[in-house]
Amino acid sequence: MRNAAILGYGAVPVGVYQRSKDGRDTPLEHELAVRVVLDAARMAGLGRTDIDGVVVAHPGDHTRQGYFHTFLTAYLGLKSNSTVVQVLGNGMTAGLAFDEGIRIVATGETDCALVIAAHCETGTPTADHLDYSIRLTGDVDFQSVYGAVPISWYAMVARRYMHDYGVTRADLAHVAVKNRRQAIDNPLAQFRTPITVDDVLAQRMIVDPLGLLEVPGRADGAAALVIVSEGLAKKSGRPYVVVRGRGYHHEGEHQIADRPTDMTHYPSIARAVPVALEQARMTLDEIAMFQVYAPCTITEVVATESMGLFSRGEGWAAAVDGRAAFDGARPVNTSGGHLSRGHPPEASPLYDVVEACIQVLGRAGPRQVRDARTAMVVSELGNYNAALVHILEAQA
Amino acid sequence: MNTAPLIPQQMEIVRSPGARPFPPRVSTFTRPYWDALAEGRLMTSCCGGCGRLSFPPKPVCRECWSEVVVWRDLQPTAMLYSYTRLHIVPGAFRADAPYDIGIVDLADGLRLMCRILPGPTELRPDMPVTMLTLMYDDGPLLAARPSR
Repeated sequence: MRNAAILGYGAVPVGVYQRSKDGRDTPLEHELAVRVVLDAARMAGLGRTDIDGVVVAHPGDHTRQGYFHTFLTAYLGLKSNSTVVQVLGNGMTAGLAFDEGIRIVATGETDCALVIAAHCETGTPTADHLDYSIRLTGDVDFQSVYGAVPISWYAMVARRYMHDYGVTRADLAHVAVKNRRQAIDNPLAQFRTPITVDDVLAQRMIVDPLGLLEVPGRADGAAALVIVSEGLAKKSGRPYVVVRGRGYHHEGEHQIADRPTDMTHYPSIARAVPVALEQARMTLDEIAMFQVYAPCTITEVVATESMGLFSRGEGWAAAVDGRAAFDGARPVNTSGGHLSRGHPPEASPLYDVVEACIQVLGRAGPRQVRDARTAMVVSELGNYNAALVHILEAQA
Repeated sequence: MNTAPLIPQQMEIVRSPGARPFPPRVSTFTRPYWDALAEGRLMTSCCGGCGRLSFPPKPVCRECWSEVVVWRDLQPTAMLYSYTRLHIVPGAFRADAPYDIGIVDLADGLRLMCRILPGPTELRPDMPVTMLTLMYDDGPLLAARPSR
């Protein structure tokens, strides 16, 4: 195995692209994909014929175009001797696409892979979207029948967490406020106006105890990475980001176990993080920042506690005292995270990789983590009980 | 509303007019579960080899992969682990909004998710709840509500 490196990235600002306003025309998924692929290729200094492997994140269930990966490959005029594949893995979809892009380069299958994620869902009304989503919330005949939606699991985790640790909704709301503060200076973020805890608490309930600003807004987005062998990256003379470590764990449960377990902890994250650190020969303290898949406030709290960044029951306090802020000891979701950077689910983990690259290459502007050269990206599934962890390091 | 306990495991059967918003599929294997639920009994599969209970019922033991499973009645008493009230709901469930769902831990040691109905007291984690059959026009679903 050899090192794989990110030589180029591209992303469009997360936002509402496909919900038509006043009958105006809207962009299609593959048209957004073209923009980010060209941006990533230009940054890498590579052209169409340099790219070989093509890994595409499953584009979201509302995408009309089927076999999106071969369609997009042809749309871009690409050919391949390694693989053209579409990857699907719940909210981890784009994380697994990134993982597969790394793998085909690290194994020597190809020298240059393109990883693309394009997720559009805002053209579909929320109630229709949720009619599909209930099929994604556990056993379709024994759990979906009760009308759970994906974020209702997070709501139940929040309710239990509040009970176990004696914290309030206002305590958890600080995570939303911290993330919004970081999104203000992120041109890729969907929500950039400052908010207060009172603003968070004043919103209408979505899934009690989580209100509108404690759950992700609906969003479209697209991002792409050019991944090459480290040898090729070095030869390019351009700054690049090396993949140093990887960890994965799935604990064999789908949503809830049929035995009581502690749902305020994500064991898969606790297992995958040390594996990635060991491979990278690093400690948690040597990682400059953490980009974590966290659609809701409570998800960031439980995930960061499970990573070992903060003690159990204190993940929310790190947003209050600034430890989890971009200028704190353990910066978390410096992009604004899923809550403010925005959450086009099948693309979100790739946006998290893009933010890690922006940070370790020193390009983050006012939200720059000082002297950052290393980052951990955690793509995880909450109560779907899996986690994928990558450790990245800049070579600039 | 039928509240008469017939046998020790008998659950209350609460009528819910209309059809189930997102009806389950019933398989050859799961038929006994749904038929029992319609009669106010909660059952699941139990491994004939190692004795492990499974929920939802399945034709194989997750622990030892034995395909010898038997049906077991479950006590309708449980603790509420957590719950949420959904205000934004799937189109199919629009008529029910807002509604509560919860995770309950049965006295028999199993955890499951179901609809939570209002009871005599406000919901809170770790409160005792009683399982019941929610009987729609087209078939049953499982629910729990705070115990009296």
